[in-house]
Amino acid sequence: MRWTLLALVAVLALLLSVVLGPAAVPLSELLRSDIVWNLRAPRALLAFLVGGSLGVAGAGLQALVRNPLADPFLLGLSGGAGLGAVLAIALHLPGPWALPIAAFLGALAALGLVYRLGLIGGASLDPRILLLGGVAIGAFTAAITTAIVSLADAAELRNAFLWLWGGLSGASWDSVLIVALYAPIPLAVLFAASRPLDLLALGEESAGYLGADVDAVKRRVYLAASLLTAAAVAVSGVIGFVGLVVPHIARLTWGHRHRSLLPAAFLGGGALLAFADTLARTVVAPRELPVGVVTALIGVPVFALLLKRWTIA
Amino acid sequence: MLRRLSVVVLILFACHPSARRHETPPAHRIVSLLPSFTELLFAIGAGDRIVGRTQWCDYPQAALEIPSVGDGMPPNIEAVMARRPDLVVLYNAGPNVTAAKQLERAGIQTVLIDLNRLENLGPAARTLGRLTGRQEQAESLAIVLDSLAGRPPPPSTTSLAFIVWDNPPIVIGHGSYLDQLATQAGARNVFGDIAAPSAQVSLETIVARDPQWIAVLADSAVPPAFAKRREWRAVRAVREGHFLLLPGSLFGRPGPRSGEAIAQLRARLAR
Repeated sequence: MRWTLLALVAVLALLLSVVLGPAAVPLSELLRSDIVWNLRAPRALLAFLVGGSLGVAGAGLQALVRNPLADPFLLGLSGGAGLGAVLAIALHLPGPWALPIAAFLGALAALGLVYRLGLIGGASLDPRILLLGGVAIGAFTAAITTAIVSLADAAELRNAFLWLWGGLSGASWDSVLIVALYAPIPLAVLFAASRPLDLLALGEESAGYLGADVDAVKRRVYLAASLLTAAAVAVSGVIGFVGLVVPHIARLTWGHRHRSLLPAAFLGGGALLAFADTLARTVVAPRELPVGVVTALIGVPVFALLLKRWTIA
Repeated sequence: MLRRLSVVVLILFACHPSARRHETPPAHRIVSLLPSFTELLFAIGAGDRIVGRTQWCDYPQAALEIPSVGDGMPPNIEAVMARRPDLVVLYNAGPNVTAAKQLERAGIQTVLIDLNRLENLGPAARTLGRLTGRQEQAESLAIVLDSLAGRPPPPSTTSLAFIVWDNPPIVIGHGSYLDQLATQAGARNVFGDIAAPSAQVSLETIVARDPQWIAVLADSAVPPAFAKRREWRAVRAVREGHFLLLPGSLFGRPGPRSGEAIAQLRARLAR
């Protein structure tokens, strides 16, 4: 029942984002419209894939660091991506894909630094150091980014911030294809880690006694979740709240078993972002809202409501 | 450092408010913190009194000889004061209001001028004329500029969209000077219904409104990078390569050359 409902919501969100838009496309011409085929359909799919990836990445990271506040962007990736994007603009890197690629590489660099910091205590990733390292690297890269923006040709570089919070405007079949080929690998790694993630909730020591290779699981989950987030930021910028709120909502309904929690987080995250993007494109048409604004405006009240129910129950 | 400090102290004493408030003599050492002001000052014959400019002030040629005080947004107060100005001309906007107050506290006369649209040009020229004692030249320039702003636009024969940034797409709306430029050149801004100077829109809105031209402020002759992105190929003008690449120095700022900008834009649209 829950699954049917969730699947329905996901399909509905996808349908709505193809049918609705600021430009008037009559229903009868929906299947033949250039706008629908070349702009709305890839954007809806990209929104779904990115939202789902962020949901799963958030669920995985929250289990890994055993902290309900963990968000895929908390671990320094948005700072790294922003620095990459600003460098691409400042250095006038040519080509239509310069910005996304630079942002992806920036996120990867931040990921590598945070990972290295997390291993400081030895071979085992320390979740607390991951969190602190993520915040520190995020602050550090943000400082360098701001320095570049304030020293170099300002007007152009402010656009880098627009891009970083830009949402899904850059969606095309190219970007859908890239994400559809890339995301399944880290997603599969995370899904395969469902059982050890359940055990990890009992504490690292207990998980070890119960047969989980704790060190390896932590490394795999961290890398997979971060690689998902790095791809998301490269194609859609930083989209907040999906990776934070969706796992919690999924956990409230599906419980703590990752075998069902992760798929639910994927569908839920996908549906939320597709729906939020539809609102972003239509409510103030012909203008458009940054999609992160909408995810926060929808996500946070839903979250508060569920929290209330949760604490009362 | 010490020398700069002593300069500040000197200025503090020399320009004590009571000494200058009564009858403001024409300014002789002006720092101009907007390219448009620099152009206007040169146009009314007060260009030789500018002792500081922004790094963006690149017209006329003689402006490049004047020392730069930085990018001017927000103004670097120390760099401005180091030019020992008796008048600082600032664009009327948030951070500049604070900067003007700081300069006033240091005893330097400042003036904040609105310059967002064509109709601001005439009043701006007159204000600068009054402050530099060149009222006559300013008045004759202002009359020309006023007539430019008051002229009924020609019927539009073509349409365009100004793309400020591609991801997310930011376009120019009715509130911008560029919208006026297009209208006066006989092109309808397809986003003229948006009241704000600029706004984020969906790509599909640009496709649906189907402008004949995509206008971009750019100093290069190569179409912008987004022209090659697949999602942008949905826009007909992008597919057909109908780009208007407009150099920012002439088209990006209201000023004494606005009439020339309109004429050039009209000529390029007719081609």
